[in-house]
Amino acid sequence: MTAATACAVVTEFVDRYRAHDIDGMTDLCSINADFSYVPFEVWGKQRVLRGDGKVGTVGKVIWTGLITSFPNLTITVHTITGNDDGDVVVEADIAGTQQLPWGNIAPAGKRFSEPHLFAFHVGADGLIDGITGYWNNAGINGQLGHYEVD
Amino acid sequence: MSATLTATPADTARAFLDALAAHDVEAALATVEPDVEVVVHPLGVSGTSRDVLRSVLGDLATAFPDLLLTVQRLIVTDDVVTALVKVEGTQAAAYAGIVNQEKHIDLDQAWRLTIADGRIVAVSAYWCQQQLYRRLGVKRFDQVTIVGGAQS
Repeated sequence: MTAATACAVVTEFVDRYRAHDIDGMTDLCSINADFSYVPFEVWGKQRVLRGDGKVGTVGKVIWTGLITSFPNLTITVHTITGNDDGDVVVEADIAGTQQLPWGNIAPAGKRFSEPHLFAFHVGADGLIDGITGYWNNAGINGQLGHYEVD
Repeated sequence: MSATLTATPADTARAFLDALAAHDVEAALATVEPDVEVVVHPLGVSGTSRDVLRSVLGDLATAFPDLLLTVQRLIVTDDVVTALVKVEGTQAAAYAGIVNQEKHIDLDQAWRLTIADGRIVAVSAYWCQQQLYRRLGVKRFDQVTIVGGAQS
């Protein structure tokens, strides 16, 4: 694995995300790829649902929901750096206009654009085996007109 | 050759994070260039001055005097070091407009540090302010200083 190879895999992943090709995104991930969207947490009365698990079981569901609720969802990469161990760090803005409910946020036709940082790991087989994401949900929710801390 | 010129990017990042973990903001800032480019996305803070970072770190250390910073991963990609950290602490003073209710935070953050010649020249920080608000008892983003139970 070289840094250039790892960055190329992640760049292709991002391109497929931009094209809303979720199956194509998961094709670039190993069957058991780890997934962690750190800010994603839904507080119920007795439990908290977090965006942690596997790409195939948690990531795919979140991506599908996002693209359904924000049909013009797009991603703009600002920086991408990698190393020969397969680590790739991406800074990107994700943006979209809400057309359907997202979580408990009713659609009001509003647009958000929010900076994200993603830490990927690409394994020796050339497949992504780890994705961790950071962003500010208060920024997104405020832009969508939802100000309650749930 | 000075010690800073022989330090690897990881060395510099660790020095910055170790000093912050020790609540020594000035020691952390000693690893930072005076005209550092700073973007702290969740606070909406940006600038090109060490004083901007001094304010951000100082506010954090003051508001959470028992601050515990744990480095979970340090990812070195050329001259960029991305630190995935967990910040924990008990609020003891107002922070980011949030009144003190002596609540505890545990917050995962990502700090992307760009390093040149052993010095930090750019910082961008990511975390979820909604998680921070939730842990500190804020009920609405647009009324941060009005906390639950404060209104009659």
